Amino acid sequence: MIVAEQKSLDEIKSLIGDAERVLVVGCGTCVTVCFAGGAREAAIVAASLRMATKLDGNGKDVTDVTVQRQCEWEYLDEIAEQIEGADLVLSLGCGIGVQAIAEHFPRKWVVPGLNTSFMGLPTEQGVWAERCAACGDCVLGLTGGICPIARCSKSLLNGPCGGSEGGHCEINPDIPCAWQLIYDRLSALGKLDLLMAIQPPKNWKTSRDGGPRKIVRDDLRLGAEEE
Amino acid sequence: MDSPQLHIIAYCCEHCAYAAADLAGGLRMQYPPEVKIVQIPCTGRIDVLTVLRAIEDGADGVMAAG
Repeated sequence: MIVAEQKSLDEIKSLIGDAERVLVVGCGTCVTVCFAGGAREAAIVAASLRMATKLDGNGKDVTDVTVQRQCEWEYLDEIAEQIEGADLVLSLGCGIGVQAIAEHFPRKWVVPGLNTSFMGLPTEQGVWAERCAACGDCVLGLTGGICPIARCSKSLLNGPCGGSEGGHCEINPDIPCAWQLIYDRLSALGKLDLLMAIQPPKNWKTSRDGGPRKIVRDDLRLGAEEE
Repeated sequence: MDSPQLHIIAYCCEHCAYAAADLAGGLRMQYPPEVKIVQIPCTGRIDVLTVLRAIEDGADGVMAAG
């Protein structure tokens, strides 16, 4: 899932500025399950903003609504009327949700209520950890299902480095050394020979180094055959 | 000078605190009129939103009893 954290109420208030009618838009997917921007959080942020602005002497009209996914036009169409009726939209979606609203409603001012953090999973209740860096050229088949790009602090492809100590990373002793994890797992599964194979240099063009990425699937596009 | 009228919302679990308040009523015991009791199935039902909405609607304080 995409994992995000809420911005502070002070920062959200400064982003809202002079807007009088504010629509807080939650998202029912990733940020709901990481408790950052779902229906519950949207209602809490809206209530907090109503009370905070009232205490500041300028109570604002703050309402909230949550869509199943902010990152698809169809779900945004469902709340078009509410968005048009607001001076400003405070998106509690990830960065994709904020941009989807801005793109779909070009005349509407949209601000983020979250800081989108990473792609990861909950390792225990209340703890989320990064697992994927979306490099576009997955190497998990060579590394026993442990990603050296996302989980090694240096994204090394030939680790561990000299900073690996007792299975931990020199960047922060709370971070397990990804290459130690890879070695241990391959060892346990009897697949250490995978590390002996010479790998060609990784093609980073599929990552951010190739600029903004796009996938086009002609088998799925409507009207692609006619083109 | 009279103190201002306060509004305290007491969310009481129906299995214990609400039953205790009920019993107190049966025994003609008195409690301040500022306290408004709301019966809930369990204090676990109380959410941040429950508290925020009570305060937003004018409560001066919220009590969870269970």
